[in-house]
Amino acid sequence: MFTRILEKVAGRPVSVLEKSITIVLIVIFLFAFYLALDANKYSAQVVVIEGEGKVGVNPTDESLDFGDMSPGTTAVRRISLQNGTAIPVYVAVFRLGSINDLMKLDKNFFTLKGNESTKLEFTTYMPASAPVGDTLSGRVFIFKIPGPWSGSKTTQ
Amino acid sequence: MRKAIRTILEFGIYIAIIAGIVWGVPNFLSWKLQTKYPIAAITSGSMWPVLQTGDLVLIQNVPKNELQIGDVVVWKNTNGFTIHRIVKLNELTLVTKGDANFSEDVPVSYDDVIGKNLMWGKKPVRLPYLGYISIWGAHIKQVYAEK
Repeated sequence: MFTRILEKVAGRPVSVLEKSITIVLIVIFLFAFYLALDANKYSAQVVVIEGEGKVGVNPTDESLDFGDMSPGTTAVRRISLQNGTAIPVYVAVFRLGSINDLMKLDKNFFTLKGNESTKLEFTTYMPASAPVGDTLSGRVFIFKIPGPWSGSKTTQ
Repeated sequence: MRKAIRTILEFGIYIAIIAGIVWGVPNFLSWKLQTKYPIAAITSGSMWPVLQTGDLVLIQNVPKNELQIGDVVVWKNTNGFTIHRIVKLNELTLVTKGDANFSEDVPVSYDDVIGKNLMWGKKPVRLPYLGYISIWGAHIKQVYAEK
């Protein structure tokens, strides 16, 4: 049936090689789709306020909300990651948005072994040039790729 | 035989164009901007948001009497170069400060000033992300030097 569908789409008979390539591409697509669905996704934001040493806290665990921060202050948020399977996962964190310039991550691109857990620490520092009154926002995507990984060097 | 010669010739021309760009562009910029160091990569966030880590900026030579408060200048220090904004102009020295920093830098002699950031209107010319090539190159070089 798969061959018939392929031949209907192609409008001609397909070779074994073409069928194999199609199957590989479908598997890759499904794997990528699974990774995208399984990824942890967080919105991140911080509001720049006037003053010295002021930090306003928003105690939500559904997003990386650093609350209100005045220039010169630092805030930290942590995300717990747990690998509940026996298969190691390779963790890759991608960050987008204006807040990414100010937000540092303690570790990235590392292997989390089976049945292990760890914490990712996001630290935001508000510099002197931060525009007071502005909201800096962004998105954080934490991809977990299962595979036969061994322990690897972590980077920031 | 003719096809092989043509392929070799095309490949040679291609290599010559690449080499010309790699060698020619910095030399052209150096001549046009009148400085030995026409290109610089931003390696820290001390000038955020005007200049961001990974940006590539162009530096032009500037006579001492044309420097103004507010100019973004490049000056030599013991660790390399610093790109910060002028906040004070003294007789023999100038004082700079990174926009994102709270404290001013130590006073710098005018002789240590390489030039100022090339401007496009009121904004500095910056090429986002292109500076990472230089940053990664320096990082790889340091890793191999430590080994």
